[in-house]
Amino acid sequence: MQIKENIEALEKEYQEKLKNIKDLKQLQDIKTELLGKKGKITSLFKLLKEVPPEKKKEVGALINSVKAKFEDILKEFEKQLTEKELEEKLKKSKIDITLPGAWVSPGAPHPVTATLRYISDIFVSMGFKIEEGPEVELEEYNFDMLNIPKDHPAREMQDTFFINKKGYVLRTHTSPVQIRAMLKQKPPLAVIAPGKVYRKDLDPTHSPMFHQIEGLVVDENITFRDLKGILKIFLESVFGKNIPIRFRPSYFPFTEPSAEVDIGCTVCKGKGCRVCKNTGWLEILGCGMVDPNVFEAVGIDTEKYTGFAFGLGIERITMLKYQIPDIRLLFSNDMRFNLQFKGI
Amino acid sequence: MKVSYKWVKEFIENFDEDIETVVEKLNETGLESTYEKFGNYIPNLTTVKILSIEKHPEKDNLLVCRATDGSKEYQVITAAKNVKEGDIVVLAKEGAVINGIEIKPVKFGSLTSEGMFLSFEELGIEIPSEGLFILGKDAPIGVDASKLLDLGEDYIIELEITPNRGDALSVRGLAREIAAIFGKKRTEKLPVVSILQENIPEIQVETDKLNRYRAVIVENVKVNVSPLDIQLKLIKSGQKPINNIVDITNFILLQEGQPLHAFDLDKLEGEIHIRQASEGEKIVALDGNEYTLNKNDIVIADDKKAVAIAGIIGGDNTKVDENTKNVLLEAANFDPSSVRKTAKRLGISTDSSYRFERGVDIENLPNAQDKAIELISSTAGGRAVGESDVHINVYKPKQVKLREKQIKRVLGAEIPKEKCSELLNRLEIPTEIVEDGTLSEIPAFRAYDLEREIDLVEEVGRLTGFNNLEETYPSISTENFNYPDYFKLEEKIRKFFISNGLTEVLTYTFSSEEDHQALGLPKPDIEIINYILKSQSLMRNNLAVSLINTLKENIKYGSKDLSVFETGTVFFDDHEEYRIGILLTGKFIDGYTFSKEKQQLNTTEKWDFLKVKGLINSFFEYIGIKNLNVNLPQLQFLNKYEAVKFLKGNTELGYIGKIHPKTAKNLEIPEDTYIGEFYLKYVSRDLKEPDHKPYIYDLIKEKEEIVYNEIPKFPSVKRDLAFEAEEDFSVGTLLDEIPKTCKLIKKVKLFDVYFLGNGRKSIAVSVEFNAGDRSLTDEEVNQMVEDLVNKLNEKFGLKLRK
Repeated sequence: MQIKENIEALEKEYQEKLKNIKDLKQLQDIKTELLGKKGKITSLFKLLKEVPPEKKKEVGALINSVKAKFEDILKEFEKQLTEKELEEKLKKSKIDITLPGAWVSPGAPHPVTATLRYISDIFVSMGFKIEEGPEVELEEYNFDMLNIPKDHPAREMQDTFFINKKGYVLRTHTSPVQIRAMLKQKPPLAVIAPGKVYRKDLDPTHSPMFHQIEGLVVDENITFRDLKGILKIFLESVFGKNIPIRFRPSYFPFTEPSAEVDIGCTVCKGKGCRVCKNTGWLEILGCGMVDPNVFEAVGIDTEKYTGFAFGLGIERITMLKYQIPDIRLLFSNDMRFNLQFKGI
Repeated sequence: MKVSYKWVKEFIENFDEDIETVVEKLNETGLESTYEKFGNYIPNLTTVKILSIEKHPEKDNLLVCRATDGSKEYQVITAAKNVKEGDIVVLAKEGAVINGIEIKPVKFGSLTSEGMFLSFEELGIEIPSEGLFILGKDAPIGVDASKLLDLGEDYIIELEITPNRGDALSVRGLAREIAAIFGKKRTEKLPVVSILQENIPEIQVETDKLNRYRAVIVENVKVNVSPLDIQLKLIKSGQKPINNIVDITNFILLQEGQPLHAFDLDKLEGEIHIRQASEGEKIVALDGNEYTLNKNDIVIADDKKAVAIAGIIGGDNTKVDENTKNVLLEAANFDPSSVRKTAKRLGISTDSSYRFERGVDIENLPNAQDKAIELISSTAGGRAVGESDVHINVYKPKQVKLREKQIKRVLGAEIPKEKCSELLNRLEIPTEIVEDGTLSEIPAFRAYDLEREIDLVEEVGRLTGFNNLEETYPSISTENFNYPDYFKLEEKIRKFFISNGLTEVLTYTFSSEEDHQALGLPKPDIEIINYILKSQSLMRNNLAVSLINTLKENIKYGSKDLSVFETGTVFFDDHEEYRIGILLTGKFIDGYTFSKEKQQLNTTEKWDFLKVKGLINSFFEYIGIKNLNVNLPQLQFLNKYEAVKFLKGNTELGYIGKIHPKTAKNLEIPEDTYIGEFYLKYVSRDLKEPDHKPYIYDLIKEKEEIVYNEIPKFPSVKRDLAFEAEEDFSVGTLLDEIPKTCKLIKKVKLFDVYFLGNGRKSIAVSVEFNAGDRSLTDEEVNQMVEDLVNKLNEKFGLKLRK
């Protein structure tokens, strides 16, 4: 049967042609040659009328199967070639992924503000409220009401900057915010006051402007043991669980009893080094029970309420945390320093 | 204060704790102290007596001494000037190592020196002095000098007291404290003196700043070197021995805490007056300086002249010298704050003033003075011939009660009254047990410190040891578990700027007049009177001055690109403000754009006006402040053609701008520097905040809550329109106006501006219409566009470009 042979030959020929196909264009050509209006398979159907009726069914089926077969093959080829071409196109526009990205690089937070935030977070999460006060402060709040009378050696504990505004100084500590808080609000009170303070002092560990956080808790039945508890939580949050803590009796005019708190040296772990001056301890904050004279100054009943207060220098903790040797670096604003703190 | 540990131990019965424990306990109970070894043992040192001194035959500046150790004679050549025949000195023999050099016989010219006489410094003692250490006449010769001087044997305790603990500023006080800590007994050998009343000093008190003045005349003293024991104790305290009379006053000050002063009686004329200085009165003090006094200062004077500044320093005119025969020994007690005021004003601090300022034990005065007289008699051969004691303020001990319940309230621990009484008595505070606690009689040595119940709570607490109190955790009565709004805002702002590439700086709030002048800004209101540096003597009234200084510093460090911000305080006469400042210059993208087609790397994105403005618009959007107006700032240091201020209604919220080229040139900073400041918060100095114009913080507080609006169901219709305008017509005016013309205009977006070259420009905008409840038809939109174009034409003369 002529037609049958034609089909077989056709099949053979195109199987061979498809082997050498390179791109979608060639595929399209073959598709047209075979399945187009005048295509070779399409033309086979025209030959069908010359086929004897009894064979028509058989031959028809044969042509149909060839058509289906080629349609499948071509579809498969098309899929593969499309993918191949897409791949080539992508490859052509490939980027060297090791090139640095081109977007704004973030700035760096300042380590002092970051530390201040970090410490505030700890107290805020314990329920302390944040209070603020001005940096040009009434002498009365900065000294007198804090039980620091005029002509008392205690005034010399802090070297004060005096200003041209009568009755005011640059505050030497954040403690006057205690007075402000107690004048504004009756107990119970639990506040912290972060902010800038000023002392006439300049060397590797002292800066004329620096930051403190003051803490104050006033309520019935607040004791020195409570003070120890709160400070333990705080110090362990900052310096790690089981950091050695030592309370040394000391003197501040606005607290009594007063204490200085030391932690085991974070650099040498208590063995003794330059940072802790071979003592194994680092002085970290001052604290104590609010002196009754302070309560009296703000009109809080000393027989009903007790309270504790504490104050710490942010720069000191920042320097310990990031091992910064000189406080003046913190205020240098030298980008070679500041940019080291990206991502803190 | 530095003192010998051996000395302290002399005052405590049966006490031999090791120094480390003592110092640790002192720190734990409230006296901040450290210790160090006194010197180091040096072998081959001996004491010798100088037999003869001759000039070196060949070398002018050298002396040839013969000295004996009792059995052997040495020839020693020295350059020291202060040796006399009969002096006892320390000889470093062959084999001794001094300052790292081994002593060997050395030839000076034709003569050999068999060793070396030593000074303090060569003995390893930190006392500045010229010449040799001349030992007291009682020093034995031919003994191991290192041992004799306790080198490497004794310890020096250095005490740094808090202002309330003046009582500890003596060997006696320190011994009392240590005895109390260790439960030991303090011992004391009381002086035995007899004072004849043959020549009684006349004393006139003409001030109320004096509590007691006791003067004793001692005749026929022989001024000489002090005995070794006194010398050694002074040396260990870092003091240079001078002569027996002066040394004894210093010795008693250290031992008893009572300042003493010895006048050369023969230089005093007439009576002793304790009086106010006259205005402008001058005195040359023992330190060689002349001080000018005023009438708030107290002086000791004779009939003619001031002879000492009370409680601070003696006068040169009546000082004890080697020719002194008779002395007037003063022991006084002055008002602490008066001494402090004078000492502070004159800028002097002496061992005496340091103690008076902190309160001296008035009751120990005669005891201390008598000890001095006893020593003078025994070492200088004097005779006390007259005493006068003006005791104005006799100490009346105060009774202070300590309730058990108060200890519990403050310390949180139960300490029974029996224990309290024991501890207080150990501190030599006479205390008895009463019904609900203890009753103490405050002794004079703690008069300045212990006045109230709480003071005794502290005493009991510190001796019990704060470290022995167990922690408790109070339940904090507060409803607050969040940051106040301002802190949240500030944090949000910090995050915004940091994520946008700006680095946070922290500048000093100090500034100078020049800083402000350079920007044409008014001089700040707040001035520091006692500034450290003139350039840091004013409290800034803006952040620009600080940021410009930051830029200048960084230029010095070699960096031309800077993108920084700060949230900081600025100061005015009656209030303060928190502001945020930015300074931007140079590149802000630390990378490049990559173009494959062009085969190139493009490496810069630099700050320019619109980028800075875009940053600030985006800042305001980020913190939720909408509908801002802009206007031109009146700031001299900005280029007015590239500067803008931001307003909400009529309230100014801040400005940004490019620095004026003239300012840039003056300050030597780049011309493409952009500066901005935003007004965050008003800070009041009064407890109540007065009315003030709103700040960004106030707007945030009042800002409306965001409520969800339904997403439009019907699509918007967009039309692109290009208008032709005069070249200096402001685009912002057009963008603001368009939405006002028709309610259905939901959005206007600028997409193109270009100059047509004939003094005119084209402004292309895309306008979005939406009715919300239905689709708009083309006809409707066409009508609205036509209305819009007409209105804009009417108002601004704009024409639609085809």
